[in-house]
Amino acid sequence: MSAPSMEERRACWGARDQYWKCLDEQAEDAAECRRIRLDFEARCPLQWVKHFDKRRDFLKYKEQLQAGQYLPPKTTEKT
Amino acid sequence: MLPTLLLRLRRAAHACAALRRGCPPRPALHTCPWPSPRLPAWEPLASPARALSGRAGAGGKAPLPLRTRLLVAVLLGAGGLGTWLYLRREKELQQLEQRVEQLRHVAVGQGDFQLVDHTGQPRRKADFAGQWVLLYFGFTHCPDICPEELEKLVEVVHLLENDSHLPPVQPIFVTVDPERDDVAAMARYVRDFHPRLLGLTGSPENVREVAKAYRVYASAGDPDVDGDYIVDHTVLIYLLAPDGLFLDYYTRGKSEAQIAQSVRQHMVTYRPFNQ
Repeated sequence: MSAPSMEERRACWGARDQYWKCLDEQAEDAAECRRIRLDFEARCPLQWVKHFDKRRDFLKYKEQLQAGQYLPPKTTEKT
Repeated sequence: MLPTLLLRLRRAAHACAALRRGCPPRPALHTCPWPSPRLPAWEPLASPARALSGRAGAGGKAPLPLRTRLLVAVLLGAGGLGTWLYLRREKELQQLEQRVEQLRHVAVGQGDFQLVDHTGQPRRKADFAGQWVLLYFGFTHCPDICPEELEKLVEVVHLLENDSHLPPVQPIFVTVDPERDDVAAMARYVRDFHPRLLGLTGSPENVREVAKAYRVYASAGDPDVDGDYIVDHTVLIYLLAPDGLFLDYYTRGKSEAQIAQSVRQHMVTYRPFNQ
């Protein structure tokens, strides 16, 4: 299985960007963006889909960290 | 400016004192507090401020024309600025030299390598002697990082090509995934970026040796249902001097302009090891 060419990479990134834009608009409600998701999965290799999903999770987590929404749980203070 | 200001303050003080002591009309003889009416009123003619002023009775007017004072101020300012800029440049160069010394000491990328380029031709490290090299380790199945870093590397090469005084830089892409990235795969990959971008691959043992020599971490992930996998690896662009020694490295956070500027500085200050 050969690696994606430059055009295929760009098509994959475009589909990913569209999917992420849909998620942003729908407040992470994946049900609304199912069709775009299918397009995204069709254009990108499976490993890349997984990689980008993890990246999305990480970016959201980073946003929340920077917004100060995570506080250490009380129980760790006792350990 | 400051001496002039002090001068003016002193003159003002003297003028006030003179006013207090001499200028108002003297009281009548019988009430005169002064020692003798025959003594002249005290005139501070001998004060150094009045002597320097060049005009008697000066009290508030400038001693030197404004133009001269401005000129002196501008010259002093320019001199100060020039000195500061020169010292700053000297410090930058000194820091660069120290860093290069440290990196030579670390001696990354020692030893030879035996790889094959994307046209099938064998390549050794000695083949690149005399050339500046920008080196990046990655793999062709990389989702986003490698294409982005290679675009950046190629843009740096473009920026440096625009400057005809500088020697040309050889961009090189070495795979950390030799099992999948054979010569044909490398050829397909590099042609999308730059005509001079050289792809290097080889046997897994040889590639592992090069990665080890350049302290590149590479670890293949678990294969997927279709056999695809992602290789986790160090993301760095290495700068090699014409003598083959590692001079500097650039992380993902560095922009094209920053890298190009750093390479330019290295080229200008470069001294070969044996000189």
